[in-house]
Amino acid sequence: MTEHEWLAVAAPYALDAVDGDERAAFETHLTQCAQCRAEVASFRDVGGQLALVVPAVDPTAGLRDRVIAEARRVRPLASRILRPASRLPWLVAAAGFVLAVVLGGAWLRERHDRRVLETQLAQLGDSLAAQDELLATLLAPDVSVANLAATGKPPSARLFWNPGRHRLVMAVFDLPPAPTGRTYQLWAIATGRPPVSLGTFNTGPDGRLTTALAVPAGLAFDLTAVTEEPAGGSPQPTQSPFLVGPVQRSE
Amino acid sequence: MDNDRSLVQRMAEGDERALGELYDRHGRVAYALAYAIVGERADADEVVVDAFGQAWRTAAHFDLARGSVAAWLTTIARTRALDLVRARGRRSRALERAARLSEEGVVSPMASGDAPDRDAERSETRRLVAGALAALPEPQRRAIQLAYFGGLTQSEIAGQLGEPLGTVKTRIRDGMAKLRDLLRGAGGRAE
Repeated sequence: MTEHEWLAVAAPYALDAVDGDERAAFETHLTQCAQCRAEVASFRDVGGQLALVVPAVDPTAGLRDRVIAEARRVRPLASRILRPASRLPWLVAAAGFVLAVVLGGAWLRERHDRRVLETQLAQLGDSLAAQDELLATLLAPDVSVANLAATGKPPSARLFWNPGRHRLVMAVFDLPPAPTGRTYQLWAIATGRPPVSLGTFNTGPDGRLTTALAVPAGLAFDLTAVTEEPAGGSPQPTQSPFLVGPVQRSE
Repeated sequence: MDNDRSLVQRMAEGDERALGELYDRHGRVAYALAYAIVGERADADEVVVDAFGQAWRTAAHFDLARGSVAAWLTTIARTRALDLVRARGRRSRALERAARLSEEGVVSPMASGDAPDRDAERSETRRLVAGALAALPEPQRRAIQLAYFGGLTQSEIAGQLGEPLGTVKTRIRDGMAKLRDLLRGAGGRAE
């Protein structure tokens, strides 16, 4: 498609009316074309005005209070700038800390109850295997890294994709937990193809998460993105991603 | 409308009063839109609380280059409302409502019995938008309304209306371009 032809997609795109494949291709184009981005923005404004023609209805009494009460439950996403590179030592330190706690716990309980000890040992084995898995995924020479950021502002995420093990380790920072009935979803995007879900996740009360996800064998992608979706996730993203990051391949 | 931008900035800094002011400015439009799509008060309440919650949480990411604050808020409210309609399996009823809007709502957006609009400037903009929509050929208007209020994609609209996809694409593109021309300079568009 030539650039001129892409301009024709801006209006239906602003109405979210473009179907899967074409939408993915257009979104890839949008990352490179300021003219089309401006066109989409102007049509989004037209969409905003369409909202005015519906019959006026008085909002339910007390709704304003509910809006404020809901806001008190979650803080807005912080706006200070993070440097993703500085987060790697934190991740390694956290992994070491978890390991130390598990080992220490196992050692103390040994004196009290042999059965408990066995359980602990089994858990420790699982935990060590999980740590092994985590470190092996992270430290392989062919690991690709993607830093996901929203225009340089938090929340942010860092992905380590190990194509050989079909695993991906994701560390997320400063992302408040999704509200009730909603979840976050990670997408893998290859140029010109619809996004593929890599799974749903949620952060803890501290806004952080480190998790490992399976990547379908043979799946190649250049871009990763995170959206907020209804609980259980969606087959395709239902809104624009708030975190996007290109995959940086290892050399 | 410069105010909108500073409100969003204050929200990003955690100022609840700014959220309250944003609700005072845009809550009515968001509510009417949500109600038009979901058709039930309790559901419209939920959509509006969710939508302003999302605006609150993501205020730091608001990007003026992507459109006005009003457009950002209505996009969030509309997306949430359509999500809810899909989640409840009530899409066909939502489509009926979208079709009704196409036939009646546009021609007389301020039917008697409507709540009075406090904001005179908004009433004026609203009259302009309704006039612009009414000026479109009916097939263009219908396609745009099925997309906007019914949440249908172009191929779904083609299926719904039994028209070729290419025809639907042309109608949406031409209709939106005409609306943009007619509404250029109308209030509530840019900041």
